[in-house]
Amino acid sequence: MKKHVVLNVNGEEHDIEIEPNRLLLHALRDDIGLTGTKEGCSIGVCGACSVTVDGRLVSSCLTLAIACQGKEITTIEGLAKDGRLHPLQQAFLEYGGFQCGICTPGQIMAAKALLDGNPNPSEEEVKEWMSGNLCRCTGYYKILESVMAVVQNKVRTEDLLPRERIEARIQSLDVYKPEARTHGSKSHG
Amino acid sequence: MAEAEKFSVVGHRVTRVEGYEKVTGEARYVGDLQLPGMLIGRILRSPYPHARILNIDTSKAEKLRGVKAVVTAEDTVKRPWGAFFADQYPLSVGKVRYVGEEVAAVAALDPDVAEEALNLIEVEYEELPAVFDAEEAMQEGAPLVHEGKARNIAMTIDVERGSVERAFAESDVIVEDTFESIPQWHCAIETIGSVADYAPNGKYTIHMNTQTLFSARMRVAAALGVRETDVRIIQAAVGGGFGGKSCDDNNPIVAAILARKARKPVKVINSREEEFLAGSRPRVNMKTWIRMGFKKDGQIRAKHLRIIADNGAYSGKAPAITGVAALRHDTCYKYSDVKTQAYLVYTNKIPTGAFRGFGNPSAEWAVEQAIDEAAHELGIDPLEIARVNAAEPGYVSPHGNRVTSCELKQCIDMAEKMMDWKQKRAAKKPKTGLGLACTVHVSGKRHFGDYDGSSATIKINEDGKALILSGEGEVGQGAATALCQIAAEELGIPMEDVEFSQADTDLTTFCLGAFGSRLTYVAGNAVKDAAAKAKQQILEMASEMLEASPDDLMVEGGKVYVKGAEAKAVTVADVARARLFRRSGAPIVASGSFDADSVLPDETRYGNESGAYNFACQAAEVEVDTETGQVKVLKYVAASDCGTVINPIGAEGQVEGSVAQGLGYALIEGLRMEEGRPINPNFSDYRLPSMRDMPALAHAFAKSYEPTGPFGAKGLGELGMDPTAAVISNAIFDAVGVRVRTLPITPEKVLKALTEKGKS
Repeated sequence: MKKHVVLNVNGEEHDIEIEPNRLLLHALRDDIGLTGTKEGCSIGVCGACSVTVDGRLVSSCLTLAIACQGKEITTIEGLAKDGRLHPLQQAFLEYGGFQCGICTPGQIMAAKALLDGNPNPSEEEVKEWMSGNLCRCTGYYKILESVMAVVQNKVRTEDLLPRERIEARIQSLDVYKPEARTHGSKSHG
Repeated sequence: MAEAEKFSVVGHRVTRVEGYEKVTGEARYVGDLQLPGMLIGRILRSPYPHARILNIDTSKAEKLRGVKAVVTAEDTVKRPWGAFFADQYPLSVGKVRYVGEEVAAVAALDPDVAEEALNLIEVEYEELPAVFDAEEAMQEGAPLVHEGKARNIAMTIDVERGSVERAFAESDVIVEDTFESIPQWHCAIETIGSVADYAPNGKYTIHMNTQTLFSARMRVAAALGVRETDVRIIQAAVGGGFGGKSCDDNNPIVAAILARKARKPVKVINSREEEFLAGSRPRVNMKTWIRMGFKKDGQIRAKHLRIIADNGAYSGKAPAITGVAALRHDTCYKYSDVKTQAYLVYTNKIPTGAFRGFGNPSAEWAVEQAIDEAAHELGIDPLEIARVNAAEPGYVSPHGNRVTSCELKQCIDMAEKMMDWKQKRAAKKPKTGLGLACTVHVSGKRHFGDYDGSSATIKINEDGKALILSGEGEVGQGAATALCQIAAEELGIPMEDVEFSQADTDLTTFCLGAFGSRLTYVAGNAVKDAAAKAKQQILEMASEMLEASPDDLMVEGGKVYVKGAEAKAVTVADVARARLFRRSGAPIVASGSFDADSVLPDETRYGNESGAYNFACQAAEVEVDTETGQVKVLKYVAASDCGTVINPIGAEGQVEGSVAQGLGYALIEGLRMEEGRPINPNFSDYRLPSMRDMPALAHAFAKSYEPTGPFGAKGLGELGMDPTAAVISNAIFDAVGVRVRTLPITPEKVLKALTEKGKS
């Protein structure tokens, strides 16, 4: 029996008709059309489906959509504000915190939930928190670097790029030009 | 090398051309696609490792409300297909040979109905004796996986160069050992999936997350029994490949068969369990017996390998992978007398296939440990034995591989320095040890016909922006960005004015796709050639406009200047418009191509498999807890020779990701199987490294320039994965004097080895 449900996603209300067992992941992707949230493992292990509900990080593949009525749901699509990227999005772009991009929305949402609650986590705290989000491409080094760049205020608000990519790419190249061709050893951890 | 300093785009840290879509969640992966009237497809899989299909009754499933198509082998041309051996069907014909094999499929209005319909399909099986171990499968009288394949042997390699008998006789020290690797799954966070559509004119359009579009087209067309151009493959954003999405599985073919029968678009996305069972084909597991002879100074004199490779039920790319495991390492060090016998053997298990490293990690797991054993026996620093044997520019391997650029020795020096190797060895702490290993990899590989090339078209639009039309695709590794950098550098236009097309077999020329660490080198050369030709057209037109000889012109920052009179300039956009909007006008468009100067190996496997070879040296410092057997990697270093680094962000990312996969392979990953049935096909039990598992990592790139590469570049994508497992095992031996000879190196195995050592 389908039920009428109202979900508040990224500040916008969506009226949908869903079965009571509909998962939040599928309601977001298939009923509302917000496909930025990804399905990786379907059992709440990989973190690709991470979203926040009333600020709390959840695996949307384990959450019933119907239980989220009256709550504020935030997905990757809700992060950029006033036409500009969120500092975490900007950091992932600049520091290469992604490759294939499939886990990236979940990584960014997880990092956002962490920093919203604790703007100054230590590197160890970031590692522990972010270990709930699997990535098979990066080896995590550049994800850690991206998150720490925001923690350390290396991403300045005035540098946040506009969402339109054509303009942005011109700027992003400027960001990098002076650093060319230094292949020295780089330590992490 | 001085030239390298002048690059304006190549070598710079450039953000991804598709980065915006990815950080905002707007990149479109195959699972995100919706077409009008689209149905959801699901596949019924064999529950048995080996069985005869006596009957399939689909009548109940067909009657279920919401079901639009049910298909079995009867809806196919029953034509087997495969990358090297045509040994598998899209849907089982008469027999199933592993748990997970595709038997039937349904397309329905929604996933729940599709699942229900699968339960209504009645399949009558007659179970057959099965074989799960490659060595048992080779015995006379073992159950045959495929009729006519005696002793289940799919392929044999038997190669000897020089005389190992003589060389062993001349050796001062001989080591002999046996090592076993494991199948490793790609575990891309995105599973394999397709959205297939069928038009009344007989054309299939398949949106896929494949790494190799044109190979996919070839194989899908063969399996469907149609011509190549009756199939159009369009690449969606790819959520991780690592070899697993190089189209050796049936997903797109089943989607196409369903779409034709339902006359509607059908989406088939593998669940995570299906991905383990029959999606991305795991790394070929090998049992390797090795015997090596050395001179007193550490120089390698002889090597004899005997490899038994477990193919699983169908071949895919395992024949080529076994070939790499058998012979590739002979390009890493200076070898003279080598012998390899390798057997690829069918079993009733999940078919194996291409995974980053392509046979190299499995072989190096054995070879690099044998060399380490020799170093200890000879009392030589393992770093010095690597140095003594390291390949150099001009080296020709016993199998004909010709090394052009090679900075392996520089890599060894860098690894030594980053690890503080000498100091740490001198002040060795108990239970702490150092290990290292070296590797070689290709930059593209000549094995699909006598072709190791690429082609690309560049068009300069009326606004001055260049579009690269390439069928190579982007799978997340950053190829699109590197290729745009190469085009921008050659054309003299800004990076942001270069775009990379979506790969589409109808719109681009033939490309082999992403495998064999080939895109930067092979596709990069083709893009560079196209860019040079497009630039020539720009210069010719500009020469009319500026009334100067083309030789006196230069293109920089998107403008064409007269050298020495920089005020005299036109923009590339002006030039493009001027060439188009006039009588007999024409767009600026040029096609380029490249075929590597490699040689297809002959029937004795003598040739030169790649146009350029990449090298690396990696080292680790580990600490072993002798109470628990737990291994902690304290520090990891990776030094790589990939020629000119095109994009440092991308290059670093390739090495970092490779090392992570290598550490997973070495220490934690593994699928447990019972009678061919996987016990843990999910992410809670098949553990992947997470952020807290990653050790401190230092890496560096050698100063290197490949003369045949685009701006001096060569491949990198797989290099970092090859030696890692051996590096860790060698470090454990140095720490506590035990060696675990089967992967993964679990605490239980370390503890058992320590206990046994204590007894003896």
